Amino acid sequence: MVMKRPPEAGDILQGTLDMLILRTLIMGPAHGHTIAQAIERTSENALEIEQGSLYPALHRLEDREWVSSEWGVSENNRKAKFYRLTNKGRKELHAATGRWRRMTRAIGLILGESLE
Amino acid sequence: MNLRRFYNRNRRDQDFAEEIESHIRHEEDANLARGITPDEARRQAQLRFGNPRTTREREWRYHSFPFLEGLRQDFSFSLRSLRKDPGFTIIALLVIAAGIGVNTAVFSVIDAVLLKPLTYPDPQQLVSLVNTSSRGSFAGASIPRFNLWRQQTSIFQQVAAIDFGGAGLNITGSDHPQQVQGIHVSADYFAMFGAPVVLGRTFTAAEDSPHGGHVVVLSNSLWKSRYGANPNIVGTTIQLDGQPYLVVGVIGPGFVTDTPADLWVPFQFDLNSKDMVFFFTAAGRLKPGVTIPQANAQMRLVADQFRRLYGASSLPPDGSFGVASLQSEMIGDTRSRLLVLWGAVAFVLLIACANVANLLLARAAARKREFATRAALGAGRGQIIRQLLVESFALSLTGGLLGLGLGFAGVRLLLRINPGDIPRIGEDGAAIKPDLNILLFTIGISILTGLIFGLIPAITASRANLAGALNENSNHASFGVRNGKLRMALVIAEVALTVVLATGAALLIRTFMNLQAVDPGFAMHNVMSMSMSVSGDRFQTTAPVAQVVQQGADRLHSVPGVIDAGVSNCLPMAGGFGMSFDVVGRPKGGSISSGGAGFCSISYGYFSTLKIPILRGRAFLKQDDAAASSVAVINKAMAHQYWPNGDPLKDRILIGAGAGPAFAEGPRQVIGIVGDTHDNGPNADPTPMMYIPLAQMPDLETALNSRVAPLYWFVRSEPDPHTLTTSLSAALREASGGLPVAHIRTMEELETTNIARQRLNMLLLSVFGVAGLLMAAIGVYGVMSYAVQQRTQELGVRMALGAQTSDLRNMVIRQGMTLTFIGLLIGGAGAFWLTRFLSSFLFGVKPLDPLSFLTTPLLLSTAALIAVWIPALRATRIDPMTALRVE
Repeated sequence: MVMKRPPEAGDILQGTLDMLILRTLIMGPAHGHTIAQAIERTSENALEIEQGSLYPALHRLEDREWVSSEWGVSENNRKAKFYRLTNKGRKELHAATGRWRRMTRAIGLILGESLE
Repeated sequence: MNLRRFYNRNRRDQDFAEEIESHIRHEEDANLARGITPDEARRQAQLRFGNPRTTREREWRYHSFPFLEGLRQDFSFSLRSLRKDPGFTIIALLVIAAGIGVNTAVFSVIDAVLLKPLTYPDPQQLVSLVNTSSRGSFAGASIPRFNLWRQQTSIFQQVAAIDFGGAGLNITGSDHPQQVQGIHVSADYFAMFGAPVVLGRTFTAAEDSPHGGHVVVLSNSLWKSRYGANPNIVGTTIQLDGQPYLVVGVIGPGFVTDTPADLWVPFQFDLNSKDMVFFFTAAGRLKPGVTIPQANAQMRLVADQFRRLYGASSLPPDGSFGVASLQSEMIGDTRSRLLVLWGAVAFVLLIACANVANLLLARAAARKREFATRAALGAGRGQIIRQLLVESFALSLTGGLLGLGLGFAGVRLLLRINPGDIPRIGEDGAAIKPDLNILLFTIGISILTGLIFGLIPAITASRANLAGALNENSNHASFGVRNGKLRMALVIAEVALTVVLATGAALLIRTFMNLQAVDPGFAMHNVMSMSMSVSGDRFQTTAPVAQVVQQGADRLHSVPGVIDAGVSNCLPMAGGFGMSFDVVGRPKGGSISSGGAGFCSISYGYFSTLKIPILRGRAFLKQDDAAASSVAVINKAMAHQYWPNGDPLKDRILIGAGAGPAFAEGPRQVIGIVGDTHDNGPNADPTPMMYIPLAQMPDLETALNSRVAPLYWFVRSEPDPHTLTTSLSAALREASGGLPVAHIRTMEELETTNIARQRLNMLLLSVFGVAGLLMAAIGVYGVMSYAVQQRTQELGVRMALGAQTSDLRNMVIRQGMTLTFIGLLIGGAGAFWLTRFLSSFLFGVKPLDPLSFLTTPLLLSTAALIAVWIPALRATRIDPMTALRVE
C-alpha cells in the first residue's frame, strides 16, 4: 500500500523533531504549546517549531505508541491535550539519541578534517 | 502499521480542531502576558500558527487511503453529475439494462443447462449404454444385452435398466383414478443415480426378480400431492391398475430424472430370457478412474462375446456396443442452440455498448470546458480518466442491477414460450434460479461493459487541449475531428452488428413461415387427443384392449357434437416404432429383412378422424378384427420407397420379420395406401409407415405395447373440442371400466409444441434484431443531430451565401446515409460469414437467402433514413442571422 506522508517541516531534519519532542516529554506530560515553547527556549530560540508540523508529529508519535494523550486542564486553567511519554517512547528516545550522537560525531569528524 | 488511524476520522478531526484552538489560546495567553492588547494577542497567535484548515486537511489526508478517497469523491461527484442530466442517465441506463438483462436471462438458462453438472453425484461417471453400427449409435436394450452388460464389473459399478418413456400407470382403488408416470427400473437404478431416500428403502434384488411381488417406490411430489406427505405410507398398499402394490419407500425432493417419474416399479426381468426385443434403455455408472474410451474398448469385446453366445445373427456384422456420456447425450443439440442464442445476445450487448459510448462521447464533448477547468485547476490526465470511468461504472453497475431484475423477468418469459424441450430446467424451470454464478456473471459483465463504453470517451476527453477549450465558446465546444470520427465509427459498428442480427432474425422468420406452411398430412382443426394407459394384468392380450377401443369409440360417437373417433398406439406427430418387414416372395439379397418402416396399430376410425386421405384401396373396417384375414395399410412414402415400380396392393408383407418371438405373425395383405404424415416434425421428410388394425395385434405384442406406450384417442368434433373435455373423458372412463385419460390436448396445441423450438428461436432473434435496429437508429440520429448542432454556424454561412435549404438537407442526409451504408456493407459481409452457423436451425431457406439479405439492409436503411431526416430538417430550419451571431 502506498502511503503519502505529510511533507515534513523544513527547518528540522526528519526524525529530529520526533526526538526533540520525546526528549521534552521526559520532564513529564505536557501539551502542544508547552512542548513547542520548551524546545524553542531550551535551544535558546535557535530552533523555531513550525506549529503546523508539531501536531502531525505528535499524532504520528501517538500512532506509533511512543506517546499517549489525554485531555486535561492546563496551568492557565484551559482545556488542553496532554501528551505523556510511554515506555516504548522512552526506549525510542534512548535509541534515537544514540543514533544522533553517532551521526553528529561522524559529521563533526568530517567537517573538522575538511576545515583544516 | 496501525490501522486505527483510518477509522473515526471525523472524530479525530474534531479533536484536532479543539487541540489547535487550545494551542492558539495558550499562545494568546503568552502574548497577553507580554503586555500586548487582547485583540493583537489573538491576531498574532493566529498568525503564528498559520492556517489551521491546511493543517487539518493535511492530517485528514494522512489518515486516508488517497486512492480510495479519490474514488469516493469521484463516485459522489458522478452521482451528482448524472442526476443533473436525467435524460441522458435514463436512456443510458435503459440501454445498459436491456443489454445486460438479455444476457443475464440467457446466461441463467445456459448456467442451469450447460454449466451445472447433472444433479446426480459424480455425473461424469454416468453413461448411457448404446448399440453402435456404421450408421451411428442408438440407445436401447434387450434383456440378453442388459444381462451381459451388467456383468462387466471391471468397468461398471452399476448398470440399471430404465423404461423408454413409460406407458403410464393408473392409480385406482379410490373415487379419483389418476394416470401417473410410472417407470419400470431395475434394482440398481437408485444406487446408480444416488437417489436420496427419505422414507423406507428402494427395491431389493429379490423384489426385482420374477415373482418378486408388487412393490412400488413413490416420488416426493406424488407422495405429497396424493398422499398428503403421510409419514406412515411405507408398508401400506396402493392400487395400481387394480392390483395392490406395497409401498417400500419414498424418494427425496431433489431427485430430478430426465423422464419425470411419479413412481417406480421393478422390471423383474427373467435374466435367462432370450427375447431380443429392445423395450428399455440401460445406463451405467463407470468405476472411479475408468474413462469413456476404456469403457468403449471393453464394450467392443463384450459385443464379440455376445455374438459367440447368441449367434452371428444376433448382432449385425458392423454392430457393436459402447457407452456415451449421459450428460452430453441429455444436452444434445441444446448446446449449439444456446450458444447461437448467446452469440446473438452478445451482439445486442455490443450494440448497447456502442450506443452508450456514443452518448458518453456526446456528453463528454458538451462537458469539455468542465474537464479543461479541472485540468487547469491541477487535475492530472489520470484523474480525469478515473473520474469518467467511475462515472461509466456507476452507470453500468446500476444498469446491471436493473438488468438483473429484467433478466429474471426475462427468464420467466423465456420459460413461458419454452418449447418444452430444453432439458434439465426442471418443472417450470425450477432449476433456473438466482444463484452466485448468475450474480457474478452479471457483475462481471457490468464492469466489462462499463470499461468498454467508458474507456474510449474517457481517453478522448482527457486529451482535450486546455487553452483551446477554455477560450472556445461553449456553444460549439467540440473535440473536433477525432471525436467526430470516433462517433462515426461507433455508428458504423452499430449498424454492422444490427445487420448481422437482423439477417439472422429474417432467416428464422422465414424458417418459421415455411414450417407453418407445411401440410402435416392430417386434420388438426377441432381434433382432440387424449392418452389412456392400458397397463395391468387385464390388458396382457389383444382382445380386452380391442374391446375397450370398440366400446370407447361407440360411446364417444354418442356424445353430442362428436363427428369421429379413433385410436392409435402412436401419436401422428411422434412417429411409430421402427419395425422390420419382408415382402412375401421378394428376394432379400442377403439382408435379414426387406426393409424397415414405422409401425402403428390403429382402430378403424383413425384415418377418417384425422382425415388422412386414402389414396388407393381401402381403409380398415370394423370387420377387420381378429377373426378376419390379416391386413395392413401403408403410406405413400413406403409405397414409393419399396415399390418404386410395382403395385403394393398385390403384395403381402410379413411385419416384424426377425424381430423376435413377440412379433411373430403371419403375412398381411396390403389393402390400401394412405397419405403421408409429417411424423418427425414439419421439417423432416415423411417416413415410411405401416398400419395394422389394433384388433389384429399378436397378443405378445399387445402385452409389450401396454407396457411401453399408452393408447392415444383422437376425437374430431363439430364444436371446439375444449367444450367437450368433461363429457369425452367421462365417456371413455365408463366405456373402459374406470380407466382415466390424461394429456388432453388439441392437435393444434400438439403442433404448436412441435414447432415451438423454431418459434422460440424466431421470437428471440426477432426481439434482439428489433432492439438492435432501434439502438442503431438512435445511434445514427444522435450522431447526425449532434453534427448539425455543431455545424450550425457553417450551415448559416452556407445559407447566407445562397445555399438552398434542400441542398443542406440533402447534405446532412447524404452524410448520415454514408455512415449507414458503410455499416451495411461491413455487416452484410459479417452476416455472409456468420449465418452458416444458423444452417441447422433453418428449414426451406438457405443461410445465404437472397430475400433475407436484401430486406434486412432495406429495413435498416429505412430506419436510418428516418433517424437522419429529423436532424436534416433541423438543418434547413436554421436562421442564418441567428446562426452567424452564435459566438
